[in-house]
Amino acid sequence: MVPSQEAHKLVLSFADDELCVGQNHSWWIAIGPFLEEDLAFTSIAQDELGHARALYSLLSDDIDQLAYGRDHSEYRSAHITEFLCHDWSSALVRHVLHDMAEQVRWSALTNSSWTELGNTAQRALAEENFHLQHGLSLLRRLLSSDEGRKRLEPVVLELAPYGREYFADSDQELMDNGLLTVSMADQERIWVDQVLEVFDEFNITVDMSEETQGSGRSGIRSNDFATLHDEMTAVIQIDPHAQW
Amino acid sequence: MKTYEVFLKKSGKDPFTHAGSVDAPDDEMALTYAREAYGRRSEGDQMWVVFRGHVLVADEIELEMADRTHKHNDGQLVAELRRATSGNES
Repeated sequence: MVPSQEAHKLVLSFADDELCVGQNHSWWIAIGPFLEEDLAFTSIAQDELGHARALYSLLSDDIDQLAYGRDHSEYRSAHITEFLCHDWSSALVRHVLHDMAEQVRWSALTNSSWTELGNTAQRALAEENFHLQHGLSLLRRLLSSDEGRKRLEPVVLELAPYGREYFADSDQELMDNGLLTVSMADQERIWVDQVLEVFDEFNITVDMSEETQGSGRSGIRSNDFATLHDEMTAVIQIDPHAQW
Repeated sequence: MKTYEVFLKKSGKDPFTHAGSVDAPDDEMALTYAREAYGRRSEGDQMWVVFRGHVLVADEIELEMADRTHKHNDGQLVAELRRATSGNES
């Protein structure tokens, strides 16, 4: 049983974020920068889709309907998760920003008063260490080279402020009933500090104060969403009763 | 990129066995890639990742020369002898 409407919204936001990022990561299957990275990155894609599945299943028995059957305006995904990122620099930067946020978000749920959600969070958090280790070590490695820095820095400056939207859900009621144990404002602060710290190592100063342009939580989709949604619903449009 | 050899061990008495190799820019990434390439479905619960340059490679000629018939005692002669002996006793 979903405890409340607010809880439903929180979990749906998180699930939609994971669905979009997982789908976007999977675009790189077979065309990753090199074989090992291809395998690692698309395996992470699968993990993110697994997180989406686990979260949707807390809300409904009909996961496919939730994942693929809603109008665009009913999705709650943050815009940063919808961006197609069809160049490797932005795919990598979004991966790191997303997984840093995920770690903070899952951590705020592991002791949730909604037990099933807490259990899901604990399982997901165990995977996050690996995702972050992967993303951060590759990012640091590439930022250490002139060419890597030249390609990555503009993407970091552009994408990072969008990440603030991860924390744009309302939380008053959720904090009051212990469903959430760290407020959205505190989660955002932790994430911003961690992001600034990572890029500060390379003397890259990210301007987070820039007003986030994303409004995904209120039902407005980014320009990339339609393409992404067409891709993720391609099979179910051909065969609505497909089983996989 | 450097090449690393990956070894996996399942729980219990199974020894480490060679799983394959990965290319990676450094040791940390090698561990990451090895886990994804060879251990993402829990194929083992322990993993060694060794930089190929640190593997000592034995001389193949010496190994071929070591293949001599008297090293291959499979106990056949002794077994036949014992069978013959026990046949006499019965």
